[in-house]
Amino acid sequence: MHHLLPLLVALPLLGAALLVAGGRRLPRRAAETIGCTVSGATAALAITLLLNSSPPLVEWAGGWVPVNGESVGIMLIGDGPALGMAALASLLTSAALAYSWRYFDEPPRRHAGSFPALMLVFQAGMCGFAIAGDLFNAFVFFELMSVVAYALTGYRIDEAKAVQGALTFAIVTSLGAYALLMGIALLYARTGELAMAQIGRGLDRTAVHGGPDALVLASFVLVLTGLLVKAAAVPFHFWLPDAHAVAPTPVCMVLSGVMVELGTYGVWRVYGTVFAGPGGIPPADLRRVLVVLGVLTAVVGAVMCWYQRHIKRLLAYSTVAHTGLFLIGIGVLTPEADDGIALYLIAHAGVKAALFACAGILLDRYGSVDELALFGKARQLRTVAALWGVGALGLAGLPPFGTALGKAVTEEAVGGALALVYVAASAVTGGAVLRVGARVFLGLGPRPKSDGEYETTGAGERPETRRRLSRVPDTMTAVPALLLAGALAVGTVPGFGGLVADAVNEAGSGGVVVTSVHWTVPGVLLGLASALLAVGLTAVAVTRPALLAAPDRALPLRRLQSGHIGDYVAWLLVGTTLLGVLALPGVLGA
Amino acid sequence: MSRRTRLWLVAVSGTGLAALLVAACLELPPFGGSSHPYGERAVRAALARHTANTIASVNFDQRAYDTLGEMSILFAAVLGCVVLLRQARDEHRARPEPAEVDLPVRRYALIVLPVAVVGGLYVIAHGQLSPGGGFQGGVVAATALHLLYLGADYRALERVRPVGLFEVADSLAVSAYLVLGLAGVLAGTAFLANTLLPYGTFNTLSSGGNVPLLNAAIGMEVACAVVVLLARFLDQAVEIEQGNGKDDKDDKDDKESEKENGKENGA
Repeated sequence: MHHLLPLLVALPLLGAALLVAGGRRLPRRAAETIGCTVSGATAALAITLLLNSSPPLVEWAGGWVPVNGESVGIMLIGDGPALGMAALASLLTSAALAYSWRYFDEPPRRHAGSFPALMLVFQAGMCGFAIAGDLFNAFVFFELMSVVAYALTGYRIDEAKAVQGALTFAIVTSLGAYALLMGIALLYARTGELAMAQIGRGLDRTAVHGGPDALVLASFVLVLTGLLVKAAAVPFHFWLPDAHAVAPTPVCMVLSGVMVELGTYGVWRVYGTVFAGPGGIPPADLRRVLVVLGVLTAVVGAVMCWYQRHIKRLLAYSTVAHTGLFLIGIGVLTPEADDGIALYLIAHAGVKAALFACAGILLDRYGSVDELALFGKARQLRTVAALWGVGALGLAGLPPFGTALGKAVTEEAVGGALALVYVAASAVTGGAVLRVGARVFLGLGPRPKSDGEYETTGAGERPETRRRLSRVPDTMTAVPALLLAGALAVGTVPGFGGLVADAVNEAGSGGVVVTSVHWTVPGVLLGLASALLAVGLTAVAVTRPALLAAPDRALPLRRLQSGHIGDYVAWLLVGTTLLGVLALPGVLGA
Repeated sequence: MSRRTRLWLVAVSGTGLAALLVAACLELPPFGGSSHPYGERAVRAALARHTANTIASVNFDQRAYDTLGEMSILFAAVLGCVVLLRQARDEHRARPEPAEVDLPVRRYALIVLPVAVVGGLYVIAHGQLSPGGGFQGGVVAATALHLLYLGADYRALERVRPVGLFEVADSLAVSAYLVLGLAGVLAGTAFLANTLLPYGTFNTLSSGGNVPLLNAAIGMEVACAVVVLLARFLDQAVEIEQGNGKDDKDDKDDKESEKENGKENGA
């Protein structure tokens, strides 16, 4: 079974290569069918491997199985979280390809296969990153998925905004990748190893006085910078709203649903395997780093989300807010929180992708994704309205959605004030989405007036289909419906939570810790509280817009998202230094 | 954010990062030490499989899976370029006019061209024996073709490099690498395992088992990828023009390119 692990990468790549080779002859329909089939087959493979991943699969590419504990080969990990992320990425790619079925305006001439091919390479990159057990190999696939994501973001070259967003994305993420590579170089210099587990052992062996030194700290900071840029943690997050607002909708579904989350997964994986030992970064310092950054990210993301009127930007900021919640969860380093985050992440992927899919329908039907311009216009889209409302409540964490279950489990694990951050961030982001729904689909409240010159309106966007849709194709409503059903199933299918928890624990602690994941009364109440809070916020915002409109003191925060790449690079440097400062006590104390 | 604030932020945080990096570099192992844990293992493994160039053994045998990722990055970059540098709605194609080339330049280019192409192929073919290999040789061979652009003109270059064919060859090379990897899985060993072919005689062209084959696939991939990449950028620089105006310098060719490129004039 374990020999099949590399096929998760090889299969979609082969599909992409054949699509490009035959792309000049293939009619569009054939190219799209091949894309869907290959992506679906990879998803099936990932799920099959996932079902056989206990005990975790390990594969050495090229058959370089270690002799006396030493190997020159590359290790691939097939444990629950790795294959779970690969399966999630594959399923979302398939969903996005199904959603984009005959969707784009016109494919580049004589290259009908190029969009499905790019999506397949993207899928291969994400799967490769998820199952990488070797730090350098993880970097290679980090780069692969980034390169494809830049091209996909700028796909609509006729719009200056799309090209600008892709360029910002490319520069900021590339800087993150250089930081990651430098961190890997430092670790290699110290240990002479590239496999994550071996680096971790090497650090423990070579630790001076049994603790970390400046080199370990620097490599930790650099590696984390790369991964947090991908995860879009504040202050590394500025590329995300600019890129997600302009990327084609099917691409947004994958970017927001799973690519960003792979950064969080990477942090979890790298800390657990490389830096968790006595020669690495002490748990207290990691906790400080991730909790501080996570809270900052959740707050900034939620506030910015509330103040958006460009619907895709609003959804992008809600992804930032949720990244913050995920980082807090993995930062507290308890097995229960890890389980909760795993569930939260799966269900969030479904909800977020479904919401982006609905936003795409608005764009193609009305040529706008502006909350104010679309006021009351989408009344006749009843199905989409229902999907949007369900998605918004799912985002806010209404039981029995999987988001609510994951959130409840995590809240119980983090406890106290941090649990309040979860309630508040999910309520504000869910409320913002619900507010858009109430205005656009129902036309509730007074017609809002446009104000403020610093706003990015969502008007004047070009539909991504050949012409404005007069009728919404069935695939475009079926895909979000299925995704929402999936998010619901995560919370309701009996035993699913337990399965995920077992898989995460087996990977995290070798199965020593046994946790149980189930609905609890406080969990349900907190979930209901955040959903109610979201509804309340929406009610106030719709009936009394002035009360919750952006106050002047929020302006400096909003101005930070200036669109100037130099600003974003400066913030990246600030973030890297901040990481160093936050993790410094562990090194000084050693 | 004003320029001043930005510079101030960069200065402060850059100093912090620089301090961290300097402190880290002071902890690096001293230069020229005798302990090379990875190097020793890699050389031993390369020799065991009769690959004279250890770098080639690392690239195409020990860490061939990384090379697969790197090759895919190049492939994705080419694909991305083809998509991003396509003709936009408000652009049209104009035939470039041949420019006068000085005779010495022309002579030099035409003499060096075959030498450079052969040099590139040599570097690819001897990847498992001497420094070089598919990545390096591929770039040499691909750029050699472009001497024609310097020595003659753009249209001469276009005649020797049909971009469509190179795109197909590029993806076939990627497929070849993948199929060679999958052969290992089918044979029951592992993906990209170098255990199917005999390792041959050390320091001859046919040594190293799989290594020369994977190396050749990479060489072909890189050569084709670089040709297509350069073609796309040259297209933008030389042929594709902004606006709806048309020059009718070469009417017949213009019609042809129009037919090829379908829509024009913002259709």
